[in-house]
Amino acid sequence: MSANVGVNQLQRRNHSRTNVGRKAGTTIITIVMIFVAAYFLLPLVWLLISTTKTGSELFNTPMLALPKHIGLFANLKLVSTYHGGYFWRWYLNSAIYATVTSVLSTVICSLAGYALAKYRFRARQFVFGMILASLLVPAAALTVPTFLMVKFLGLMNTYAGVIVPGLATAFGVYFLSIYIGEAMPTEFMDSGRVDGAGEWQIFWRIAIPVLRPGMVTYLLISFIGSWNNFFLPLLILNSSALYPLPLGLDVWSTYLTQAGAGVPPYAQIVTGSFLSILPMVVLFPFLRKYIASGMITGGIKM
Amino acid sequence: MRKGRLVPYTMLAPFFILFLGFFVYPFFYAFYLSMYATRMGANQFVGLNNYLIALTDSEFWHSITTVLYFGVLQAVSVLLVGLILALFLDSSLVKGKAFFRLVYFLPYAVPGVIAALMWGFLYSPQLDPLLRVFSLFDAGKPVNVLSSSSLLYSIVNIVTWEWAGYNMTLYFAALTALPIELYEAAKIDGCNEWRLAVLIKVPLLRPMILFTSILSIIGSMQLFNEPFILSNLTAVPPNYTPNLYIYNMAFSYGNLNYSAALSFLLAFVTFVASMLFLYFTSGEQRREKRAARKQRKAMRQLGTEKVGIQS
Repeated sequence: MSANVGVNQLQRRNHSRTNVGRKAGTTIITIVMIFVAAYFLLPLVWLLISTTKTGSELFNTPMLALPKHIGLFANLKLVSTYHGGYFWRWYLNSAIYATVTSVLSTVICSLAGYALAKYRFRARQFVFGMILASLLVPAAALTVPTFLMVKFLGLMNTYAGVIVPGLATAFGVYFLSIYIGEAMPTEFMDSGRVDGAGEWQIFWRIAIPVLRPGMVTYLLISFIGSWNNFFLPLLILNSSALYPLPLGLDVWSTYLTQAGAGVPPYAQIVTGSFLSILPMVVLFPFLRKYIASGMITGGIKM
Repeated sequence: MRKGRLVPYTMLAPFFILFLGFFVYPFFYAFYLSMYATRMGANQFVGLNNYLIALTDSEFWHSITTVLYFGVLQAVSVLLVGLILALFLDSSLVKGKAFFRLVYFLPYAVPGVIAALMWGFLYSPQLDPLLRVFSLFDAGKPVNVLSSSSLLYSIVNIVTWEWAGYNMTLYFAALTALPIELYEAAKIDGCNEWRLAVLIKVPLLRPMILFTSILSIIGSMQLFNEPFILSNLTAVPPNYTPNLYIYNMAFSYGNLNYSAALSFLLAFVTFVASMLFLYFTSGEQRREKRAARKQRKAMRQLGTEKVGIQS
């Protein structure tokens, strides 16, 4: 905040937007921005450096000091073999959960969103109203019920138990129906009909190519959402072989303070955390644009 | 009619069936459950008794006040940081905007569980040199930011780290959508960047600020991951947040009925909090509308035709 005031005074002193005033303002704000950037990067840089340290160095060397002995390979080996060696299995599980959920959810929600946006039929208002109403229900109210439903269907401790409840999201249909309503001209559908195409053909051949950007956005949001998902797997899974990464790392972190769990697995958790965020953080610069554009469509229209 | 008549229903069907199965039905089933209780091994209908118990359950209300307080702190830090960053990035004063936008938004790609673990480690005094600086303020005593008195603020920091950039992105996108002519007109009128931000951009961002505030209220009422993960590193009471209490009620104490009732109560409190927030923030608009209505009424009584006066 103090930086704000500083800039304000500076500008007032110069009054006009001369180059000098602008340069000074730019410098001060840029310094502030760099400090803020350091705050956001700090944990990630710390994680990167710590991954290369051995367990004892983690606590004996300054936080951001580079390691004296490269512990990376030892850590990788530790992670791969710790407590039954499930880590890479968790990695695979996370990839399966996120890929299957996001792809199926995109198809299901796009179809529904397309129907709601582009057809006039009797149940339309009712379904749309129901979706809007459900957006107001906090997920917490559905924790126990979802758990019971999964149990009822006999899907406890299965891949399907984690995937199926997350497929039909009200947000997805809401977002896609608004996007489709704007991005897909009804004339395209009419000209398809004139050419003798069926409604499904129009959807697959004409609509999907037009709507790809919005669908990609939802796919990414959904992928990140289920890659990060923790609560549902926590309720539904109890065998280590099915855990996604966040759940596995949570279980490891319970060994930190548990009596009789052996040496606290600091190095394993640090390295495991680093590996589990690596793909997303690396891909993020390329995906940012799609995600941000989708958030605004989902957000501004509320 | 046409043979395509059933097509929209078919397209809607997969979503609708799943939605019924995993949203609508569980929602009502949970409500049904919340009206039963296990007494002497048998499931008994108790009406709204679970809710009555919950209303006087001080453990539950303690968790509610905790998250309400947390929500206020969180809204101030997350939304304010996000807003200030977005305004800076939208001004002509910053270089390297694309870089900063990316870095600030990056935590969005990090799962909440991992963020909580990272910060949990960084909160340990052996690791974090900053904590040693803090300890100077407290007569050199070692600082434990995970102690029960400062746990809440430590979680606010984690949540700020996770979500400030997300909100910055929303604000920034909304700012980009504003017509550029507006800025030019303001600049011709002698507005500097600072005044432009405060007097023009912030008021225009109002709908987005309200929207993010609501998201933030709902999010903080449901706080779970961060305290749950930190409970592996420090002592966190089982009723620290409502969701933690609900979780423990269902899965540690095995009382699904009461847990369902608490879930509904939490949903209700969240809804009321959101509505109260909207009510108080739209006070000005309501007054304007009321004034306009009065004005129109007066006009009609006067028999004038000018009904459409803009207020």
